[in-house]
Parts: sequence; C-alpha cells; structure tokens
Amino acid sequence: MGSPLYDIRGLAHRYRGRQALRIERLVLERGGIVGVMGPNGSGKSTFLRLMGFIERPTSGEIRFEGRPAGPFAPEVRGRVALLPQEPFLLKRSVLENVVYGLRIRRVNGPLEERAAQALSFVGLDARRFARRPSEALSGGEAQRVALAARLALQPEVLLLDEPTASVDALSAQLIQEAALKAQRDWGTTLVVASHDAQWLYEVSDTVLHLLKGRVFGTGRENVLFGPWQRAPGGDRWEKPLADGQRLVVPPPPEADAAAVIDELRLLGGDGPRAMPWPTGHTLSGVITRLALEKTSGNVRICVLVSGIPFTVVLSPRQVEEQGLFPGRRAVLGYDADAIRWF
Amino acid sequence: MAFRKPVSAIRMDFLIEGFIKAIGLLANGDPETFSAISATMTVSAYSLLATLAMGLPLGFCLGYFEFRFKNQVRVAVDTLLALPTVFIGLLVYALFTSRGPLGHWGLLFTLPGIAVGLTILALPIVIALCATAVEGSDRGLRVALISLGASRRQLFLSTLWEARHGVVAAALMAYGRVMTEVGIAMMVGGNIKWRTRTITTAIALETNKGEFAMGIALGLVLLGIAFGVNFAVSFLRKRH
Repeated sequence: MGSPLYDIRGLAHRYRGRQALRIERLVLERGGIVGVMGPNGSGKSTFLRLMGFIERPTSGEIRFEGRPAGPFAPEVRGRVALLPQEPFLLKRSVLENVVYGLRIRRVNGPLEERAAQALSFVGLDARRFARRPSEALSGGEAQRVALAARLALQPEVLLLDEPTASVDALSAQLIQEAALKAQRDWGTTLVVASHDAQWLYEVSDTVLHLLKGRVFGTGRENVLFGPWQRAPGGDRWEKPLADGQRLVVPPPPEADAAAVIDELRLLGGDGPRAMPWPTGHTLSGVITRLALEKTSGNVRICVLVSGIPFTVVLSPRQVEEQGLFPGRRAVLGYDADAIRWF
Repeated sequence: MAFRKPVSAIRMDFLIEGFIKAIGLLANGDPETFSAISATMTVSAYSLLATLAMGLPLGFCLGYFEFRFKNQVRVAVDTLLALPTVFIGLLVYALFTSRGPLGHWGLLFTLPGIAVGLTILALPIVIALCATAVEGSDRGLRVALISLGASRRQLFLSTLWEARHGVVAAALMAYGRVMTEVGIAMMVGGNIKWRTRTITTAIALETNKGEFAMGIALGLVLLGIAFGVNFAVSFLRKRH
C-alpha cells in the first residue's frame, strides 16, 4: 500500500505570534473530495495555503506522497494548485494567463488548444476571451479564468478557497461543475473550503470542520457562538434570539465561548407538541434546505432558527415519514447538559 | 544721446546666439562635441548595466522578503539616496589613486573609473525604487505564481515583470542621475580632452571659458537623449 497523498504531522502556524492553525495529525488520501468548513478566521485559508505549499509552516511538517515537502519543492511544483478566494490575474491577456503555468513548465505542444479546453471547462469561449486583457474581465469571469489557468495544468491536487464566495450564481455553478469534472476526468484530489455546508456535504467524501485554527470534527456538529449572558433567576446562561426564543446553555468558560451541540433532534414538522421532549430545550424554526450526503446517503436538513442555521441528519426514510420539506416549520430539541464548550 | 538695449534683450540675444551655434556644432559633427557625447554614453551605459545587475536583485529582496532589521536597511538605503557626488568622487579617487588600495587597477582618469563612481551613485536609487515597486505589487501575485508552479527564479522574474512600470521608472531615474552627474566625472575622470571629458564636465569647462555655444550644444544633447529614452519607454509601455 502506497503512502497517503498528504500526511500532516505536528503542524502549527503562526502569524505575528498569533496561532492561526494547529493540526496534530491529519492524513488525506488521493482522488477524493475534501470539504473544509468553518467560520471566518477559523484557519481555512491558512490550511489551504499550507496544503498548497505556498508557505512553510512555523513548525511541524507536511508530507506529500510520503516525503516532506515545502514551497518550490520539485515534487509539488505544478502538481498542486491553489485557487485563492481573491483571484489574481497577471497584467496580460486571458490566454497569457491561462498558459503561464504551462510555459514555465516548458510544456510542449499546442498551448492555445489546451488553453481553449481549460477555458471551455469554466464556460468561457476562447475565441471571445483569449485576447481580452485581464483588466477587462468582471469578477466572476476573472475567477473562472484563474480556475482555467489551474485546470490547464491538469493538477493532481486542486485547492479551492471559497471559490464561489464573491461571484454571481452562474459563475458559481460553472466553477463548481468545472472542479467536479476535473476530479471525475483526471482523478484530481479536490480540497474545497466553503461556507456552503450543504454543497460540501453533497459532493465531499470527507468534511473537516475548522474552528479557531483546529480541526474540530466532521462538520455535523452544530457550533453556536456567544456572547452568552446569565439567565435571570438560575445558574443557566442563555443567548436571546431576535424572535424572542432563548438558547439555554450551561455556564460557559468565557462569555464568548463557542458551544457545541453534538446531538440535536428534529422533534417534528408540525409544532412544539409533535414529539415529547420533557428533559431538554426546544427551538422552533423553518426548514430551508434538504441535501443528500455523498458518503452516508443520509439527508442533511438545515433548519433556520431566528437567522441561525442548525443542521440535523436523518435517514431518507425518516424524512419521508415525517413529510419534511423546505418551507415547513420544524421543532428542534437539545439537551443543555450535553452541550460542550470549545 | 546713445540708446542702449534693455538688459533682458541682451540676455535673450546671447542665448539665441548660443542655440544657433549649438545646432551648427551638432550638424557639422564637431569632433570635440561628439567625443564628449561618446564618453557620456559609454560611462552611463556601463554604470547603468552594473547598477541594474546588482540593484534589481537587491531591490527585489528588500521589497519582497521580511527579515530582521529590514526597516533599518531601508533607512540606510534611503539615506544613501542623498549621498553627495563629490564625496563619492573623493572616495573613488582615494581608492583608485596610485597610493590607494585599488591603485594597481589603473582606473583613475579612465571611463571605467567614472562608471564605478556613477554606479555607487545610482545603486541606492534602483534598490530603493525597485523595492518600493515590488512592495507595492499585489499580495496575490506570489500566491498565484507559486500555485501555477513557478520556481524561485521564475517568481523573481515574473514579479519584476508585473512591477515593470516601477522598475523602468527606477532605471530611468538612475539613468538621468548618471547622465547629468558632474562631480564624480570631474574628480575621477579628470576632464581629459578626447578621453574622459563627458558632456557635463565639458559644459562646466566651456562655461568657465566663456564658450557658451558649446555648453548649450551639449546641454541640448543631454535633453535630446533624455527625450529619446523617455519616448522609447513610452512606446514600449504602449505596446505592452
């Protein structure tokens, strides 16, 4: 059995003394799709830059195919490509941008054909766009050209940092399709950081949840952020929600700690009395989205409670039995004593 | 009662006369004038090549990398921008004089000797402006180039290319400085006719002699060269 594609050991990365990422051990196999989720500042971009060998970690090592690798290492150059959230294009034509990576690798053959193919992957017509200066592109087009420049290399690993965060719906769809096509056609390992948890679960083989610079779990956990305040007349703390509901928690270690609810139950779709929940607390919300998980075959149900998204995973049969669909009201139950703090 | 011309009219006559004589000198290919032009072009070309060869990598490193004492190095380079040319002339003279440590090189009163002094003068300009141009380039450039598979050398060249307008401005400013320099050329070159007399030292000498036509002719040549270089850069910039 060969070495894993990535083997991260004792990795820590700091910016100006502040810890941005810490991963004791993480192994990723080749060919799959890895989703990376987490709030802003959780370390997703740092994780991708280190995985893309753009920067060297402050300490620890990243092994690529069993060997320690870093920026400019010959074994990763041109094989691992990162598409950052803010696309940067060289001050040249679209064609020059797309073939840049091929030129510096001294790839022989018709570069224009490969560029045209890469541009077609992202839904751009080479005849219309190839000669256009990069400054004349819209934000969505620039992101697609930047992706085409990576796809032209047919990389073995493609790292996408919030690829659809700042583009229009059409560009987002084309970017997602192009990345998945690269994974399907060339066996490219995809590592995608995104806020779109539902999409990540639909397409990913593995999902990593990053929080405060650490790999926290698989993303099924519901993470709730403070600030928390002491509930009147008791030892409980709470977070008042905009619609008047209250999220009750045990005393937090600090007022802005992150609460983790490992077990959240969907009590039913018809109101607070749908299912008895005598020991715990309930929250009422609206189902906004159902998504099929790629690996488990279960259905992820997103319930929006006063603007905060909660996720519950049920089997397709349970979904069918309870008649759950987007737009329907739903009641969630949780046990405050089972909440843990991060 | 005799009428005298106003003073301002006399001054204008003298300038116009000098200008007309200057055109004559250039049009007739005056050998002394062209000897000074040739010496100037030679020393400025030598010094600019040496300056760019050393200054671009050093400026790139200063602008690109983060290291301890970087700010102090920047202050030192910026301070060297104001280095007096006579001091550089004195320094290079002391080095190249027969009793100096590099006297055996035999560079005193030669064009390469002047070029060494001019390189010392222009180097801080190219380092400082190149560092500023590289610092000002987008942070995403590095990520983009490395993620597209660039080696260290390709990263250096592509970053300079992306910051080319700033780099060209640095080279132009350095060229202008070495072309118009007089103190170093006078002290290290010795202003020897037919050998080390440059445009600027010739202007100084001719002015002292009262030969304004030659001085103005050489001044016009300096202006013409500066215009030609700027025009060429502007043309290239439009093409790219």
